[in-house]
Amino acid sequence: MSTEQIQGIAGHGSFFQPTHLGAEEAAKATDWVRKHVDRRTMDLGERMDDIREHMWELEKEGEIIVHRITDAHKPVEVQTLFGWTKKIPTIQLWHHKSCGQCGNIPGYPTSLLWFMNQFGYEPGRDYLDETDQTSCTAWNYHGSGIGNVESLAAVFLRNFHQAYVSGKQHGHGLGHFFPLVHCGTSFGNYKEIRKYLVESAELRERVKKILGKLGRLVDGKIVIPEEVVHYSEWVHVMRNRIASELQKVDVSNIRVTMHAACHYYKMVHEDAIYDPTVLGGNRTAIGTSVAQALGAQVIDYSTWYDCCGFGFRHIISEREFTRSFTMNRKIRVVREEANADVLIGNDTGCITTMDKNQWIGKAHEQNFSVPVMADVQFAALACGADPFKIVQLQWHASPCEELVEKMGISWTDAKKNFEAYLKEVEAGRIEYLYNPELALGGH
Amino acid sequence: MATYAEMREIYDDIRGDFRYDHELNGCLNCGICTATCPSAQFYDYSPREIVQLLWTENVEQVYDAMQEKIWACAQCMTCAARCPFKNSPGGLVMIMREVAIKHGMQSAKDVLRPFGRVMLKLITTGNQLSPDMIQPDHFPDWGPNIQKVEGNLKTLRKAIPMRTLQTTDTAWEVSLKTSVEMYTIWEMTGVLNSLETMDENLFDVIEDFIDEKREEYDEWLEEQEGKGD
Ligand code: SF4
Ligand code: SF4
Repeated sequence: MSTEQIQGIAGHGSFFQPTHLGAEEAAKATDWVRKHVDRRTMDLGERMDDIREHMWELEKEGEIIVHRITDAHKPVEVQTLFGWTKKIPTIQLWHHKSCGQCGNIPGYPTSLLWFMNQFGYEPGRDYLDETDQTSCTAWNYHGSGIGNVESLAAVFLRNFHQAYVSGKQHGHGLGHFFPLVHCGTSFGNYKEIRKYLVESAELRERVKKILGKLGRLVDGKIVIPEEVVHYSEWVHVMRNRIASELQKVDVSNIRVTMHAACHYYKMVHEDAIYDPTVLGGNRTAIGTSVAQALGAQVIDYSTWYDCCGFGFRHIISEREFTRSFTMNRKIRVVREEANADVLIGNDTGCITTMDKNQWIGKAHEQNFSVPVMADVQFAALACGADPFKIVQLQWHASPCEELVEKMGISWTDAKKNFEAYLKEVEAGRIEYLYNPELALGGH
Repeated sequence: MATYAEMREIYDDIRGDFRYDHELNGCLNCGICTATCPSAQFYDYSPREIVQLLWTENVEQVYDAMQEKIWACAQCMTCAARCPFKNSPGGLVMIMREVAIKHGMQSAKDVLRPFGRVMLKLITTGNQLSPDMIQPDHFPDWGPNIQKVEGNLKTLRKAIPMRTLQTTDTAWEVSLKTSVEMYTIWEMTGVLNSLETMDENLFDVIEDFIDEKREEYDEWLEEQEGKGD
């Protein structure tokens, strides 16, 4: 079957037939659509409500407490889709981990914390990684439908309340640490839920009962963050410092493609970062911007907007969809069209999908592959982080060694080193990014 | 086959969700959603069709779509970012899935059976994925080189320089207190009830697990009090 037949016009019903238009005619017929979908449209902004304004009103009315980003968090202001301003805190951060990242691609959080250490951040004061947090539970929700707005809201408020009070045990005031969300789905889900919480007094009432029972109210109120911030936004605002203060490896020969997570910029899309100096300001800037700052060649490709095929449920129990989509619409295109050296991303689900499903392509004579990793892992490599100990590339299935070698780093030496280090680990001599006691509430 | 009244009840439940009016504002039938939809490329599924059925109050075909079609959606929300009417077909699908579960639809049970492992992990630990789940025997299609360094999983996890990640059966270490708080959330929001409707065996296993963890937590609390004396 040809690709055209496979892709066909499924879902339209049999009375929809291919038009067989020539390329030029087809382009003309779809011109309006393309104009609309390829460029961001600012016009909708005026019709949109900025939920944050309502948050301030609710706080004034004594309904909620807003966890503020203060000067102490050294925020950087950025622009979002409609040109609105968003504050990104750069320090005093509470790492809100991602179950997919931690379970599957641990090089994500380790590279991020490594960067913070490189900038001289002091663990326990400038950031905190602790055990008192659950996942957002939204992966399961989107996959199975088990869960509901109320459970998602209670989980959100519980985790963010912990972030708000977490400074206390380390001798700081309330609100000292601001949550930095590692996961793309958590980021999208929390913002969606925040919207519902601000809009619905009934929902607030219902979850307040739960939070009260858990001892997770402050002065009888729920705590809602001023901004929901994604780790890739931290990387975005730190990109020039990363490049000017930390970069060790010249990456000007590296062809980089970016896959931005759907849940980063398609859910509550008004909150995603756009920057006129990145991809013409038409696509979300995160990810691409750090590759650009490091001096890599950023390569555009025709399926940039496509999802990776993760599907939440599909990656677990309908994998033929996931792997077919990712191979046909992502890996093939970045390999054959963009001739990329690496495909970077900013979320767990996408990286897992695109990294792990390349091998099976061989069964369909799809003999192409491309290294897949997170933006922050690529940046860490460029700044001289150890490919194994820090960037943790040993957990990846895609050919990351090809990229590492092209960057002029010896994969074999690094691997040998790491294997020797594993002996040390077995003997209990572990190198940590921070004092492990901190994770458990100690000092 | 469901009666019209049953189908109507299901439809009314979908419409009754407070998000419904956020997610559906009208429909031009333009098909932009379907054109950008990954699932439409591989399944007999179209977000435009879902939206049209709801918009035209086609009670029977909505019921029909809930049998299988709604489970095709990959929840990427590309449709929501693109729809000129600011609809969210993916969001509507989520409402429909929740309603399918509420009504214990057989199709939902069938679709979710292979998802049980993730559900068990989630409800009991608050993590949805753990390193010991990503082993070659669970994912043979990921190939023999699922990772690049051979070795014992425990040791490899210990070689991650973050204390919270040195686990094998959860993605990160979740404190016992946190888990116990989460169980309360599941109970108070009806999540455990939906689970019972969908899979009684899984529910029993989870209930036992929760009881055990709560006992463990109570013992720990007593111990702490003892220390304080
Ligand atoms: S994009 Fe929006 S208006 Fe167009 S068919 Fe889909 S739901 Fe209807
Ligand atoms: S959310 Fe569902 S319906 Fe919408 S584009 Fe993605 S897969 Fe298609």
